[in-house]
Formats: sequence, C-alpha cells, structure tokens
Amino acid sequence: MNFAVTFTPADAARLLDACAAGVVLFGVLIAGTRSMGRAIWLVAAQAVLLSAAVVGVGVATGSVHLVLGGLLTLASRGIAVPLILGRILRASPVRVERNPYLGPRTSLVVAIAIVFAATLAVDSAALGGSPGGSINAARALPASVAEVLTGLLIAMTRRKGLSIVVGLLIFENGLALTAFSLTYGMPFVVELGATFDLLLVLVAVGVYARRMLTVFGSLSTDQLRNLRG
Amino acid sequence: MNDWIVGALVLAPFVGGIAAWFLRGRAVEVVSIASMYVTCSAGLGLGVAVLQAGRLTAFGGVVSVDALGAYLLILTVLVGAMALAASPHYISHEFAAGKLRPRDEGHYYALFLWFVATLVVVPLVDNLGLLWVAIEATTVVSALLVGINRSPDAIEAAWKYLILGTIGVGFALLATLLAYASSVRVLGDTSDALNWTTLITIAPQLNPNLLRLSFVFALAGYGTKMGLAPFHTWLPDAHSQAPSPISALLSGVSLISAFYALVRFHLVTAAGLGTAFSSNLLIFFGLLSIAVALPFLIRQEDVKRLLAYSSVEHMGVLALGLGFGGPIALLGVIAHVGLHALTKATLFISAGELVHQYGSRRLSAIRGTLTASPVAGGALGSGIVLLGGLPPSGIFVTEFAIIVGGVARGYVLAAALAALLLALCFVALAVHGSRIVWGHSGPVDAAREIDWSMVLRLSLPLVAVAILGLWTPGPLTSALESVRAVMAVIGA
Repeated sequence: MNFAVTFTPADAARLLDACAAGVVLFGVLIAGTRSMGRAIWLVAAQAVLLSAAVVGVGVATGSVHLVLGGLLTLASRGIAVPLILGRILRASPVRVERNPYLGPRTSLVVAIAIVFAATLAVDSAALGGSPGGSINAARALPASVAEVLTGLLIAMTRRKGLSIVVGLLIFENGLALTAFSLTYGMPFVVELGATFDLLLVLVAVGVYARRMLTVFGSLSTDQLRNLRG
Repeated sequence: MNDWIVGALVLAPFVGGIAAWFLRGRAVEVVSIASMYVTCSAGLGLGVAVLQAGRLTAFGGVVSVDALGAYLLILTVLVGAMALAASPHYISHEFAAGKLRPRDEGHYYALFLWFVATLVVVPLVDNLGLLWVAIEATTVVSALLVGINRSPDAIEAAWKYLILGTIGVGFALLATLLAYASSVRVLGDTSDALNWTTLITIAPQLNPNLLRLSFVFALAGYGTKMGLAPFHTWLPDAHSQAPSPISALLSGVSLISAFYALVRFHLVTAAGLGTAFSSNLLIFFGLLSIAVALPFLIRQEDVKRLLAYSSVEHMGVLALGLGFGGPIALLGVIAHVGLHALTKATLFISAGELVHQYGSRRLSAIRGTLTASPVAGGALGSGIVLLGGLPPSGIFVTEFAIIVGGVARGYVLAAALAALLLALCFVALAVHGSRIVWGHSGPVDAAREIDWSMVLRLSLPLVAVAILGLWTPGPLTSALESVRAVMAVIGA
C-alpha cells in the first residue's frame, strides 16, 4: 500500500500510544463530570480515537481487515451509539447526575488512581510481550485495563440509568482497546458479531429507558429496588 | 446436506420471528409452531446423528458439533417446544388481566423465536468468539422478553438483567480475548486460532499466564450468566418476573448454555495447565452457590423465586461436579444438566398456571392444590420434591454420583459439605412442596374441566425424571458416555 511509505509502523505505534492516552484522559474526565450530555460526547470521542488508532495501524501494516474494523468502530461506537443515547437524554427530564453514590470529585481522584495503579501493575511482558509484527506500543495494554476498571467504577457508582450505560460503554471501549493491544483485534467475523451485539444492547437500553420514563417518570435507578430476597 | 439442516435449524426461528412480529391471533401461533417444528426436527435429527456417529461439521468448519454440543442442542429444542406449547395460555391469561397490549402478542412470539434462534447457535459454533457473540445475543433478546408486560417490577428485573448480564458477559469477552492472544502466539494470525477444537489440541503450548487469566475471566463472565454466586443477584429477579414460558427457557436452557461455554474453557485450561487450577475454583464457587441459595430456599415467600434460587443451587452442583472431574462425577454432571432442564422448565410452566389461578405468587397463598388445582398444583408440588432430589428422582442419583465421584477423587471435605448442604436444600424444598399440595387452600379460580394436553405436557417430563432415577435405557447410557468422552481431559 502507498501510505506505508510515508506512514511507518513506528508512527503507527506512536499514534496508538497517543490514542490510548487520549482514551484514558477522556475516561477520567467522564468520571469527573455531572453532565450526562458531556459524558455521552466524551464516550463517543473515545470511540473516535480508538478507531483512529485501528485505522492508523491498519494503514501502516497494510491490513484491510484492520481498516475495515476501525471504520466499523467509528460507525457504531462513534456515531450510532451517541445518537441513540442523545435521543434518550432529550426525552429525559433530568440531564445531570444529581447525587451519585460517589461524587464527581471523588470519582475523578479514584479514576486517576486507577490509571496509576494499572500502569504500575500491568506488565505486558508477563503476558508474553506485545503482539507479533513490527509495531510495539507498550502503553496501550495498561491503558485498556485502566479503561475497563474506570467503566466499572462509573457503572457502579452512578444512580441514573443513562450514566450507568455510559459506564458500560467505557467498559466496552476498554475491552476493544484490550483486544487491539493484545492481538490487533479479533477475527473480523467475531468483531462484526460483537458490534452487532453492542448495538442490540443499546436498542434494548432505549426500549427500557422509554418504559422507565413512562412508568416511573425518570431514569433514576432509585425506583428499582423493589425486588428482594 | 449438513449445511441445509443447520441452515434450517437457525433460520426457521429467525425468519419465523420476523413474520411473527407483524402478526397476531391464530396466525402468529401457526407461524410460531411451524418454525419451532422445523427447528425441533432439525435439532433432534442433528443431535441424535452426532451422538451416534460422532462429530459433524458444516459451512466449511464454522459449524462443528460434537457429542457435548449435540446434547445441549437436543435439550434446547425440547425445552423450546415445551415453552412454546405453554405460551398461548400465558398470553390469554395476560390479555384477560389487561397486562398486555394487542400488539405485544406478535412481539412476544417474535422475541421468543429469536431467543430460540440465538440459543441453538450456541452448541453449533466451534469458534469461542462466535460462541460469545451468540450468548451475548441471548442476553439482549431475553432481556426484552423479561419486561414485556411493563409492570414496574418487570422493568426493574429486566434492567438489572440487561446491565449486569452485559457487564458479566463482557468479562467473558475478555476471557475469549486472552485465549485468542495465547493461541495467536502459537499459531500466528490464522482464522482457526479461536476454534475450540484447535485450542484443545495446542493447549499444552499456550502461555500459562494468559490461560490462567482467561479462565478466571471466563468463570466470572459465564458464571454471571449461569447464576453462580456471588454473581447471581440478577437471576431471581429476572427468572421470577419473566413470563413463565420464558422463565422455563431462561432456567432450562440459557443457564446451561452458559455452563456449556464454561465447560469449554475449563477443558482447554485443564489440557494446558493440568486440572488443579480451574477445578479448585469451580469447586469453591460451586459450594458457595449451594450455600448462598440455601437460606433463600428456606425463607422463600414467592413461588417463582423459590424455583429461581433452586436454579442457583443446581448451577452450583454442576460447577462442583465439573470441578471434581473423574468418570463418576462427570456422568452425574451430564445427566444432571438434562434433568435440571426438564424439571425446571416444567415447574416454571406449572407455577405460571398456579399464579394465574390463585391470583398470587405467594407461597402462603398457593396451598391445598390437591383439591383446588390437581393438574398444575400436583405437578408443581411433586416436581419441587423431585427437584430437591427425593428418590427415585433422577436428580437424587445425579447428585449422589457427583458426591461419590468427589470422594473418589479425594475431595472428601468438599463432598461432605456438599452432601450436607444438599440434604438441607432438600428439606426446604420438601416442606414447600408438601404445603403446596396438602396445605389449606383459599378461594381459587381454576378451570373445572381437566385440560388433558396440559396433563400430558406437565406429567411426561416429571415421570421421565422419576423413571430415569431407576432405570436408564441403553441408547441413553451410550449417549451420555459419548458426551463424557468429549471431556476426556478431566475424566480420567
């Protein structure tokens, strides 16, 4: 491929590291915001960075599969998902996270601590080194682990259904980054299936968000504590 | 030829579901029965052929069914047919109670058929990534069914199931990624690097750290989906709030599909690292699940939650037996999977009938069914006792085999603890069961005429479970043996 002449594997590795850093930064920013609209845009921005990294490495290594996978990520996580979430948000009367279990400032600190801990703890060499081929991006794997944990943190400590879904998406973005930094992604057919599943999840979330708004009048999960024992 | 059968098996419910979405009344029932008929014939034919003749492949190796997959496939289509047969009753009860809108009927059958379509894919695919895709799809489709009647409790249950299920299965994706990473390093970037048949042969060469991490995440991920404690919290909500035929599918098939995925990971891990690592984890979480279910079985007030916690107990038994390994316990596990599926599906269907007749789900209300509602009530009461493992129930034999097998493999303490916990679970279930049958009944809105089709549908599986405790037909024995042969790694 022609691009490979100007865009070398070393450039691609730098791009991947930079994008991984951006994904982590956006994750921390989401932990620190109360605005659900901002959280949705930041999660979409994570997906755009992710797809940029995948397409970049695909171009550098001349892999059509990666370029297609990156575009798929952009179309689904970067465009379709924020559109669906935006629709739900517009239907909701309350658009900020009023009283999460863990406030935004504490969440911010915890998220930063997670990033540091992941950087120190995850040694990609212990897992057999980075994937074969000529690209060596040492920072992507710890970043992906930090994202998975940040996503869990947000999903567990927010009260609004939509914020929980944002946490779920950060978690999913972290998984996608893990897949990419471990093995340059899954086989294409699996990636296709996983993307399809993610969109299905979002459709189901949309259906239940609408029902929650009709039945309870809000998306707060405080109403969801009737079932016990 | 195989391509056609597999194609019909998956496409019939998928296409039937699309048609059902737009139909209602008699038409939607006809479409659903026709699709289910095709799936059932194809599934039973394919499953029996594999159990007799060994592995079968189609679509250039994408589909590859061994005896273990064939067994799950047969159970899936059988329970699917049972649940579909119970659906018209459920729909008419819900319409009468004003809980469903007219259009919901078509949506119910469409989602039902798509749920079956995703469930039958699970045992067919060889690729662990596609296995994950299929299981995640079952979660989403069934979550839409759990909350179909829009009651606040059902919405709560469905939301928790959707979110916790997706996060849980996300961990299973991580497990799949790590397995892929370990195999790509051995094989290079080939398309079969995630195929189970490939992984099991190259397992000794896989990076042990990656393999260990992969199993831990598989246990957390598929363990969530199969309701192992402490990841089981969504299960009693979803299984009790779902429409009863859907509870039958969730408990009878969906749980054991997740168990099936876990078995695949366990076999690869055991082939690579030896049995100790993954077996000990399975035994621990198996015992924990039985212990966690016990108090909820004793103090339970809601009939469908009682059945749901019994599922947590049974999944614990399966994990425990799988962890023990060895020929006796494994045969127990394999038979237990089938008996659990048949009993639990029947019980959820009869519980659904009783809940409508008594107008309550409370165990303190559903009593004295011997006189008030002999068919559904008799099935529920006797079934709950069979479920607890009263001889001659087949479940007694399988649980006994698992405990004996554990002792034979040297896990004496774990086996003794399991025996004690299972005996206590039996007492709890027997007390509930006898109250349901003989207790003092309040006013009941039960049909006076006996519905013979329901008698047949509810009694056949339970009679089978009782007979299988005394006698196993020869062909069935050899089928179970061939399923066990797939698990040879942990069966020696």
